[in-house]
Amino acid sequence: MSEHTIAVTVNGERYERAVEARKLLVHFIRDDLDLTGTHVGCDTGNCGACTVLLNGVAVKSCMLLAPQADGAEVTTVEGLTLLAADGELNPLQKAFSEHHALQCGYCTPGMLISATYLLSHTPQPSEEEIRRAIQGNICRCTGYVNIVKAVQAVSEGQSL
Amino acid sequence: MTETAQEQRVELEVGYAGKSIPRKEDARLVQGEGVFADDVKRHGMGYVHFVRSPYAHARIVSVDVSAAEALDGVYGTLTPDEVADLTDPFFELSTPPGSQIKDYALAVGRVRHIGEPVVAVVAESRERARDAADLVEVEYEPLEVLVDARRAQDGDAPVLHDDAGTNVVWSGTFDWGDVDGALKAADRVVRIKELHFDRFSSTPLECSAALVEHDRGTGQFTIHCNHQMPGVAAIWMGPALRVPLDKLRFVTQDIGGGFGNKITTHPQLTACCLLARKLKRPIQWTEWRTDQHTGNAHGNERWFQEIEVAVQNDGTMLGFKVKALDDCGAFPRYEPLGCIIWAQVTPGLYRWRNIRVEFTQVVTNKSPVAPNRGYSRMQQLWLTERICDIVAHELGLDAVAVRKKNYVRSDEMPYETPNGCVYDSGDYARCLDIALELIDYDGARARQAQKDGKLVGIGIGSTLDSGTNNFGQSTLLNPELQFSGNNEVATIKLDIFGEIVLTLGTVPQGQGHETVASQVAADILGVSPDQIHVRPGHDSYWNSHAGFSGTYASQFAVTGLEAVKGATEKLSLEIRRLAGAVLGGADPDAIVLEGGFAKRKDNPEAALPFMACGAIVNANNAVLPEDVRDVTLNCRYVYVPPFTLPDFERKFGNLTLTYATQIHACVVEIDPETGHVELVDYAAVDDCGVRIHPQIVEGQVHGATVHGIGAALHETFAYDEYGQLLTANFYDYHVPHALDLPEIKTGHIESPSPFSSLGTKGMGEGGGAAIHAICAAIQDALRTAGSRAVVADSHNPPERVWRMLTDPDETAALVEVSE
Amino acid sequence: MLLAELDYARPGSIEEAVTLLAGREDARALAGGQSLVNVMKTRVATPELVVDLNGIAPLRGIASDGGVLEIGAMTTYSAIVDSAEVAGARPILAEVARTIADVQVRNRGTIGGNVCSNDPTNHFPPLLAALEAELTIQGAGGERTVGTEEFFEGVYMTAVQPGEVLTKVRIPAKGDARDGWASVTLGKDGTGIVNVAATVKDGTARIAIGCVAATPVVVTASADETAVKDAVRAAGLDPPADVHASAEYRRHLAEVLAARAVRDAA
Repeated sequence: MSEHTIAVTVNGERYERAVEARKLLVHFIRDDLDLTGTHVGCDTGNCGACTVLLNGVAVKSCMLLAPQADGAEVTTVEGLTLLAADGELNPLQKAFSEHHALQCGYCTPGMLISATYLLSHTPQPSEEEIRRAIQGNICRCTGYVNIVKAVQAVSEGQSL
Repeated sequence: MTETAQEQRVELEVGYAGKSIPRKEDARLVQGEGVFADDVKRHGMGYVHFVRSPYAHARIVSVDVSAAEALDGVYGTLTPDEVADLTDPFFELSTPPGSQIKDYALAVGRVRHIGEPVVAVVAESRERARDAADLVEVEYEPLEVLVDARRAQDGDAPVLHDDAGTNVVWSGTFDWGDVDGALKAADRVVRIKELHFDRFSSTPLECSAALVEHDRGTGQFTIHCNHQMPGVAAIWMGPALRVPLDKLRFVTQDIGGGFGNKITTHPQLTACCLLARKLKRPIQWTEWRTDQHTGNAHGNERWFQEIEVAVQNDGTMLGFKVKALDDCGAFPRYEPLGCIIWAQVTPGLYRWRNIRVEFTQVVTNKSPVAPNRGYSRMQQLWLTERICDIVAHELGLDAVAVRKKNYVRSDEMPYETPNGCVYDSGDYARCLDIALELIDYDGARARQAQKDGKLVGIGIGSTLDSGTNNFGQSTLLNPELQFSGNNEVATIKLDIFGEIVLTLGTVPQGQGHETVASQVAADILGVSPDQIHVRPGHDSYWNSHAGFSGTYASQFAVTGLEAVKGATEKLSLEIRRLAGAVLGGADPDAIVLEGGFAKRKDNPEAALPFMACGAIVNANNAVLPEDVRDVTLNCRYVYVPPFTLPDFERKFGNLTLTYATQIHACVVEIDPETGHVELVDYAAVDDCGVRIHPQIVEGQVHGATVHGIGAALHETFAYDEYGQLLTANFYDYHVPHALDLPEIKTGHIESPSPFSSLGTKGMGEGGGAAIHAICAAIQDALRTAGSRAVVADSHNPPERVWRMLTDPDETAALVEVSE
Repeated sequence: MLLAELDYARPGSIEEAVTLLAGREDARALAGGQSLVNVMKTRVATPELVVDLNGIAPLRGIASDGGVLEIGAMTTYSAIVDSAEVAGARPILAEVARTIADVQVRNRGTIGGNVCSNDPTNHFPPLLAALEAELTIQGAGGERTVGTEEFFEGVYMTAVQPGEVLTKVRIPAKGDARDGWASVTLGKDGTGIVNVAATVKDGTARIAIGCVAATPVVVTASADETAVKDAVRAAGLDPPADVHASAEYRRHLAEVLAARAVRDAA
């Protein structure tokens, strides 16, 4: 079938939509669901700007067809913010800002997802593990220096 | 000039300037709530897909869009014939015959590089537009391809632009001092046959994009995009579209990196304007990565040939001459400005006085270039650094000693270069010492001596970030051009409720302008940066911009901040005049701004909150005394740097206002069996004068360093003989990822500029220091291992290094030393 | 970047997948998608039916009975990296899997996809060739098991016929063999320029070289540097040239990396 009706839970909210089978998940997220925080930076699956969590696992959403997410739970950058009464940012988001781990912000959503995934299974990563965790996320502004520092800061905070 | 500027320097109170405060931009960006060009949507918008040339050079025989237009869901197309009919060619900067080149929004008559847009198709979805593109039939007649700039002037080379009749865009000779005399007088002459600065670019992660609307009633185009220099885009697009410039409204908000690669997209934006008007709907265009790599844009590729360097035995470098051949790709566009921009840093960091450059720029069947990060100065600085290292090695001298011997000294600042540029301030030797200390230079030399399998090399890369251009340098290329000076605008107002609103003419792509501007304004108004609302991005409708507005060329810390300072000082004076009048007839100098209040210095209880000031002026002005009725609390300031026209005959004059320094040092380990170069230690020391936000400055140093590492070791736009780009996406064009990089240590000093009232200097581009340092380190490793190979190319992937090791004669033959 | 129109199916069993794949001439199996989706983006391949194998539980899983390690074709690189069975039976598989691209790719990419796409720069073809793995293919007619030499046929071509699916890979447990791996890549963990896997047992090295030919080139030699390099030279490699490396450089790297892989074998 070339058109499918899929039900995807994104950031806790269930969406049911009809999509062409060929639609990439990243375009479904950006164009059909208007969640434009997830970005497109390349056309060969190398840059990681499109990284989301699919059933808790970090994947490149440009490398999946939308129907593959049918019945799945997706977390995008918009789902990371801890919604306290005054719209607080979560510790990772705060650390990114504090350590100047973003300049233009275009790679940032993907970086945050990859870092979130890392810390979810390795709360005390070494520097090498942090770099390995974001190896699939290209940044052209920061040189990764401060991104690594931000993730280190959060992991150190978590040790308390 | 120096004294006046120093007298004028403002001692900023409170001190938000100088602190690394949290960035205003961050909150939205870390939540994914930034608005980038592709995020902008309009009801009924049509998605554009450009049908692009699969040939590097071909005549367009025929174009048939009928099948594409018949496809369900397709809204329409745009063909070269329509473009030739509805638009005039874009303005060219060069002199004849280069200026005869005709450049349109789509390829008219001929395609001249792979990826050149030929037809635009618009449809209801991205996928449908892509499907329709497959149905567009273009018949091509392939032509001979030119990919080597060194062949471009051969009699039998294909000529890309018949209208010009030549592949030469511009050529000229620059001659300062007496280089022939220096070569005669020198103890030695070092001759270098050829050096090659390779083709790469900063490839911002976000590609170019636009959402273009056309208002049928008013003829107004609104272009939501990520163009870095909207004023320049307008100058190209307005006449081409035959519309007044104000009909082109540019709106940007968040931009995912620019690095100079978002300056020459006017062809695609023009096509989108034509489509919006023709199809009566908003037009959405996003460039794909492959489009960006094949067509928009590359950095200048440059050959340096027949270099002759006059040197004394003690390492004093007296002068050099060189033939520079620049390859600007298929269309000049922003070129030939690159043919003069390098002259901002003619001698590099060195004190030699005798320099001749014969400069020629040619077109080839490659992607057009744009002012990629470090634009043209990076290439010149790489040349001077290569010369320095080659001279040191050939004469058996220490590269550090040769640099220190030849560096312009801090006590010589401000220093006038042989062509009249003025290096404002700096202490190169001190920066070098800090860099060497950070990499433990002595320890590295000791490790080098151990020879335990890997070849250890130590390299230095000195560079300058010349900032705030005098666009009058364009007249040195073409005296008919009516461009000179520079400008930037800021507008700041107090709203009716006393809210402070600041709008900038700049177009930031990650440099944190909202934050840094608010620091400067906050210190003048006596508030915190949080109380200053800086409108994100750029909008022509704000009328807070001038001809040169934009974000490029390492200038914000001067042009942008001087504009902010000027506007805010005006506002401060107006507030104090108003408050003075209201608070008992005091002079403005008797009023101080503190904590959101205007207070009498002699009686701080007598205070007017900003809210009251705003309310009076905006809604209650009949209570005002006559002599303050002119106060609007809406202050616009245009900063104009103190430039004059350069001297055309002598090619002489001040081309840039400030010069930031970066000196990098690195240690490499080369695997001699594979040629793989590993960076084991890296230090970058910068001096950009007064730093308003140190963390942002350091971030720029990191980013520039990694762009340079990429160029030196990983990135190249490689073409085959058919003009096919072999590194057309991120799969083949490898940019540094997190695991590719060592720790990057940084250091800094601050040599305030005497030419900016805040003492700041523009910085950010970084001048390619990493490229210079890594090339130097590779050569140092080879020489220490006993090889006479010479690093003659800026790009050194493993195979090239391996070839230098296995066949050193190939590059050693490029260098000759004579008495 | 955008795909041509296609039909999509997500079978729940191997039998259903085989039926779907056999039923259309232009059907392709979708495993991890980290190669296929890219190839569809560039329109080098435009399958009209994509059969998603990700819903077929029997294709996943790792089991070890002490003598043989059995890995389901749809097992991801990440699962291999994290597997206690792999760590116990043949850890080189995890060491190599850990260096494939990045974590997002490893979370979706599968060992089956890696071998079935048989891109000459892939990791598992030379590795499995060195380890003398066996691959089980299932079709409408039943199941068959082949060795790596029979399995890898040419560039992007394997013994898996239309209408068939690779179901599992079986690798002998390490025993007293020592395994090694050496490569030169485009950036760290990037695309291979040359890669070499080696297994050393009783002083003899079995070496498989990737990126130099359509399929892995296997040579055997005594496990010393000179013998290894001589054997590689004697294989008369004729590697491809491309933007990343010349044929001469690849030929040179093959010798150097073969010696290093053997040295690495521990």
